[in-house]
Amino acid sequence: MNFTRRDFLVGSAALTAGASVSAPFFLPKYYVDRRQKRSRVAILHADQYSGRLDEIVAAGLRLFALDVRGKRVVLKPNLVDYSPGDAINTHPLLVLAAADLFRRMDAKSVVVAEGPGHQRDTRLVLSQGGYDRVLREEKIRFVDLNRDELIRTPLRASYTGMKHLWLPRTVLDCDFLVSMPKIKTHHWAGVTLSMKNMFGIVPGSRYGWPKNILHWEGIQESILDLCATVPIPFVIADGIVAMEGNGPLNGAARTLGTIVLADDPVAADATCSRLMGFEPDRIVHIRAGSRFTGNSLPALIDQVGEIPTSPATPFQVVPEFRFLHAP
Amino acid sequence: MLSTLLAELSLRQLPCGGWAALASSSQPAIEPTCYSALALGSVPVGDIVRAQNFLLITQNPNGSWPVFPGDDREGGWVTSLAVIALRDLVLAIPARLRGFHWLLNCAGKESNWFWKWKFRTADRHVRFDPDKYGWPWSPDAVSWVVPTAFAILALNQIPCSCGGLERLPFRVDRGIEMLMDRACPGGGWNAGNGVVYGTALAPHADDTATALLALTDRKEDPIAQSGVQYLEKIAPSLSAPWSLAWAILALAAYQRPVDGLQRLLTTLPGLSTVENTGTLALVSLAIDHRRGLSALGVNS
Repeated sequence: MNFTRRDFLVGSAALTAGASVSAPFFLPKYYVDRRQKRSRVAILHADQYSGRLDEIVAAGLRLFALDVRGKRVVLKPNLVDYSPGDAINTHPLLVLAAADLFRRMDAKSVVVAEGPGHQRDTRLVLSQGGYDRVLREEKIRFVDLNRDELIRTPLRASYTGMKHLWLPRTVLDCDFLVSMPKIKTHHWAGVTLSMKNMFGIVPGSRYGWPKNILHWEGIQESILDLCATVPIPFVIADGIVAMEGNGPLNGAARTLGTIVLADDPVAADATCSRLMGFEPDRIVHIRAGSRFTGNSLPALIDQVGEIPTSPATPFQVVPEFRFLHAP
Repeated sequence: MLSTLLAELSLRQLPCGGWAALASSSQPAIEPTCYSALALGSVPVGDIVRAQNFLLITQNPNGSWPVFPGDDREGGWVTSLAVIALRDLVLAIPARLRGFHWLLNCAGKESNWFWKWKFRTADRHVRFDPDKYGWPWSPDAVSWVVPTAFAILALNQIPCSCGGLERLPFRVDRGIEMLMDRACPGGGWNAGNGVVYGTALAPHADDTATALLALTDRKEDPIAQSGVQYLEKIAPSLSAPWSLAWAILALAAYQRPVDGLQRLLTTLPGLSTVENTGTLALVSLAIDHRRGLSALGVNS
């Protein structure tokens, strides 16, 4: 076969054009790799929301070598809206148990902080959701992240293409952030677990209710940019009563009887997904997050509590996410 | 009670003239400043002049207002609140005009033919008519109920649609249509998602109240009436001052009795120490609801 000078030039031009078009898809979009060599996840059995949660979570925390002495701890539950009897929000008794334990572990301060995504009246969500009384009685400070002081924060990944977000000082200044999601399905993201829970730190006063800009920039991409920018050192996920179907607001309650603790948000979410009967690698933000912010492979996760098993009947999802179901 | 709340508001005013969203914060923001300026507007406490100056100097070059000083310059939904808060100030007429022009040029993304087409064909999980658009929280997003309601309230204060404001009636009408379109099937409004994935979502008291305040020219419309009915039903059970204050203002604007609700509001625990300064100001406006509605420019 003979190559002419013309063939060579045309071929080179085609290769250059092809490389420049496809390069953005292969170049890493994260600036920091925070993966640990191994991650640790504890699945704890809990039948119900009761005063016994203290003991259960304490036993779980002992499985991790956590040192929060002198640290400012922020607990970030998932409070979206309130609807009587629905499993929408992280239960206040779980948050109370965590706050109490971190105080006993000599944290400098423990603050509960959240910026609900649907309801502008944060105090109404707290009051109706049973938080107001618990926080007042235990003298736990709450910060409304929708209205906190804001700091211009460069993003440490470029999945959305946004250069920066205005994020709340309470979260940026803390030493130890604990993401405390409700284990739920989500009709636009597949699942809402510890990583998706970070949408709550994006301030409504700046970006609106719901935080629509994140939807326009891509939900999965926004989750990844947020998790690259604000590390999540610890997760306590509420799966005692979880939600399936048309989450995050209109799904059905589903008893899972489980609390998941983890020192890695990707490992936590991958494990929760397995407990829901999903294949974690089919969830975009878990798969992409495992390249820079945590581990999703079972071989890299030390299970220190119960062994994760898929449910006999996987969690129901909206039709667009049926592909998540594990074979 | 009212004088205690106003004194507390006055104490929370920052040296720059503005107010922070939270009592513990020192970062001034436009939303709490507007509510506070409206609440203090006609009473001899606090430094209303400094508040107005703060609003004037924080306006963006494009006529909009930022959410807080130092914010990016593209502007946002608080522009409507700022032009309302400055409405009695002659000195602010040029600034308000620039604000009105910005509002007329700002529209929900679905006003563009491409996004209209997308919402009609490929993206139909949220039920809405993209022909009916209003205002977004921030430019480059779709319309939502609260920013649309505030924009209508602000634009209704323009005496005529002249001098480059010819699009005013069109935009206000479209905004009203958008609010009607986004109502929840059972009455009332939430952020703007009435039906998602075929499921009706619940209304919120504060969003419903804000929409109703913008619709006082359509009081007899069945959609407005069913919003009022929802609010009348839910208001006595509201346990948070922000929502209850908004509900009182809206129900008063629709000539519904609010004395009982005002009593309920003033007995909520820890009212004067509420962390959210905007809530404190709104409660003040709701306790004196006639003055509150007048300050917001609501035709009741």
